[in-house]
Amino acid sequence: MPAHDVLIIGAGLAGQRAALAAAQAGATVAVLSKVHPVRSHSVAAAGGINAAIAVEDDWRSHAYDTVKGSDFLGDQDAIEVMCAEAPAEVLHLEHIGVTFHRDETGRLDLRAFGGASINRTAYVADITGQAILHVLYEQLLRFGDRIDRYEEWFTTSLIVDDGGCAGVVARDVRSGAMEVFAAKSVILACGGAGQCFKPTTNGLICTGDGMALAYRAGAPLMDMEMVQYHPTTLVENGFLITEGARGEGAHLLNADGERFMERYAPSKRELASRDVVSRAEQTEIDEGRGVGPDGRGIYLDITVVPRRRTLEALREIVNIGRDFAGVDITREPIVIRPGQHYVMGGVRTDVHGRTPLDGLYAAGEVACVSVHGGNRLGANSLLDTLIFGRRAGEHAAARAAGTRMPRVSRAPLHDDARRIEAILARPAGAGRRVSEIKEELGTTMNRHVAVFRDEGGLRTALDVVRRLREEAESAAVDDRGTVFNQDVLGAIELGCLLDCAEAMVVSALERRESRGAQFRTDFPRRDDAEWLKHITITRDGDGAPRIGYAPVTITRWEPEERRY
Amino acid sequence: MRFTLEVWTQASRDEEGHFERYDVDGIDPDASFLEMLDELNARLAAEGKRTIAFDSDCREGICGMCSLTIDGQPHGPNQVTTCQTFMRDFEDGATIRVEPFRSGAFPVVRDLVTDRSALDRIVQAGGYVTTKTGPKPDPNAAPVPPAVQQKVMDAAACIGCGACVAACPNGAAMLFTGAKVTHFNLLPQGQPERASRARSLVLAMDAEGFGGCTNYGECARVCPQEIPLDVIGMLNREYRRGARREDDTVGTRT
Ligand SMILES: Cc1cc2nc3c(=O)[nH]c(=O)nc-3n(C[C@H](O)[C@H](O)[C@H](O)COP(=O)(O)OP(=O)(O)OC[C@H]3O[C@@H](n4cnc5c(N)ncnc54)[C@H](O)[C@@H]3O)c2cc1C
Ligand code: FES
Repeated sequence: MPAHDVLIIGAGLAGQRAALAAAQAGATVAVLSKVHPVRSHSVAAAGGINAAIAVEDDWRSHAYDTVKGSDFLGDQDAIEVMCAEAPAEVLHLEHIGVTFHRDETGRLDLRAFGGASINRTAYVADITGQAILHVLYEQLLRFGDRIDRYEEWFTTSLIVDDGGCAGVVARDVRSGAMEVFAAKSVILACGGAGQCFKPTTNGLICTGDGMALAYRAGAPLMDMEMVQYHPTTLVENGFLITEGARGEGAHLLNADGERFMERYAPSKRELASRDVVSRAEQTEIDEGRGVGPDGRGIYLDITVVPRRRTLEALREIVNIGRDFAGVDITREPIVIRPGQHYVMGGVRTDVHGRTPLDGLYAAGEVACVSVHGGNRLGANSLLDTLIFGRRAGEHAAARAAGTRMPRVSRAPLHDDARRIEAILARPAGAGRRVSEIKEELGTTMNRHVAVFRDEGGLRTALDVVRRLREEAESAAVDDRGTVFNQDVLGAIELGCLLDCAEAMVVSALERRESRGAQFRTDFPRRDDAEWLKHITITRDGDGAPRIGYAPVTITRWEPEERRY
Repeated sequence: MRFTLEVWTQASRDEEGHFERYDVDGIDPDASFLEMLDELNARLAAEGKRTIAFDSDCREGICGMCSLTIDGQPHGPNQVTTCQTFMRDFEDGATIRVEPFRSGAFPVVRDLVTDRSALDRIVQAGGYVTTKTGPKPDPNAAPVPPAVQQKVMDAAACIGCGACVAACPNGAAMLFTGAKVTHFNLLPQGQPERASRARSLVLAMDAEGFGGCTNYGECARVCPQEIPLDVIGMLNREYRRGARREDDTVGTRT
């Protein structure tokens, strides 16, 4: 049985950064990922990463913008840590070879992003995530003697022993073999749960596995009602058009050709925070001023950006526009709409990435520190993955140095193997197909747990999620083999999605106010007296979600009304 | 639209593979190639037949996971990733042959899925910057001129899909390796290992069983990220430059 000081589940930016930090701190490290590391969804991040690097900038300004963006639900101690450490982290990336964009004089260039009071976003054209992920992976390979990589290994459960996390059970995707991994510290870096929604900007692998694994092991989830809808996703298929487009100056127009953001956010307009812009768009659409098929979209007009600049700084979306919408974005507007993009909530952690479950850490989109609160600012997520990935790696290594390797039994492996056997043995044709259930989940969530919510819709969603959970129990899989069986993993992922979706809906029902990404048409005001607190969800003994609360940490900035 | 597909089917690495024929109809011309395969898989599953394994994630051309050889061309007829290939690019009624990326260095895992980890082992030999801990120099103290920045960016755009290898009649990984060397050797941060980097990577490339370059240029013609052939020139120059400074730690090419 493999045994490591620090075992990291996930090899996106958070996981790789954690691995490097833990290895540099002297720990033995393993990284386990269900896909090859550079295919992790961090690769899709487009627009950039925030850091107060400019001489006229200050990390406190970045922190305030983040607090305000979060609609005051973010924990200010964590936000201060993230923003204060951001400049050094970005310089470190630059130092290991990330080619951040430079201006004509050869100096680092920073672009404008939503909710920011100054240009603060470092970027690599619109392939920032790819550029960072590849360079980090090259570092991971460099430390190949200290970091064991288990690529294309799927984690099926966490092992809890003596009240702490002692390792995981995983399945080799290629051969179907199962293995127990013992570890002194386990870091979850499994990314988000966007596949709960359809459409989503997230890839097929973003199935909330980490949140579900932690939840089932007894760790609390927090802020799960806070789901970000990005203002600019393609009407055709939900692909992301980076906020960088608006950062470069693109306009949003309704059917009357009006630049309607002037009414909703007179000073920041298109660059207000994402919750504000998405709501404004949805209001325009709902009131009949939408464009495109069935009036369900809004024009994003990039033609106001100089063509040369678009071709240089937005090259990926020039391609996306051409291939998927048949539009040359340098010559005509493209039709977009708000679409699911990010989950602010996740496994509750402190500023060291520690979850309340001893020995278990979490970092990146899977975690909730909470630096994003009710609404994440664009380009703060990559930063979150790196800062808290590193901090979790360092802390986990230090903890491991003072603990003994837990003795882990193989019983959990047999449990999981039996669970998989049972999935494979389900009679074909008896139940619904996994893909059908997933489809119904996605469209239901996108209908009722979206930009605008109300009690009736949320109750409907909860009923559907619970029915789908039952149906998932008997959903047959097509492939019954061992080698590279994607079907059986799909069935396991579906279970994870349903756990995450349930937590999202239950939290959204509970929060009877409107804050950040949660807008309740039946409770349209923010209510600080009652709801300036986090909602946590813990799994009860009988499997039902139990609601709890956690205070919001306020260090410097008292809640005030948000205006953009 | 309707198509006849001849799809490579192989149960596992150690078993023999063969082509299986399928007829599909009612395909939307705007479906991507992978959506067409999803549709085929859904129909196969409904009939209780074995589905086809293939790789994909982002489906927007950035993750480098999708990797089909379509009618003999890695990623298909256009110079884009497989997931950005659309059925409208094919003639109605056409017979289309679908295979995994073919290369001795990329063993088949199952059906259309290959193991491309040989590329990682090339990088492991030195495709990175070595750093010291401690405060980092101000990046603006060493400005990068726009022309250099552009070259570096073009090289750093590599998504590691391996189409270049699959396209090369020799199965060489020169475009991939050239991109890594160009990226790091042009940057101020990459200078400390500049002399040894190209040689280390080329040695690793040989050890993995990739072929040599005889200037076919097929690699750059299929590269979805349009990595220019120049990076191979750069690799060769840097290799020779390293040879002039040959030190025993690096070893010699055999
Ligand atoms: C299209 C798009 C554009 C974006 N652009 C930006 C941007 O410009 N700026 C910004 O700040 N943020 C952006 N974001 C958000 C940001 O990219 C993500 O939040 C962030 O990259 C998440 O990183 P991560 O390391 O937490 O997870 P991921 O990169 O998603 O990695 C998750 C890892 O976990 C592994 N894993 C998951 N489940 C299992 C399991 N069961 N067993 C084993 N391994 C598992 C996966 O294999 C993977 O390696 C964007 C997001 C999207 C979707
Ligand atoms: S699936 Fe990601 S590049 Fe094709």
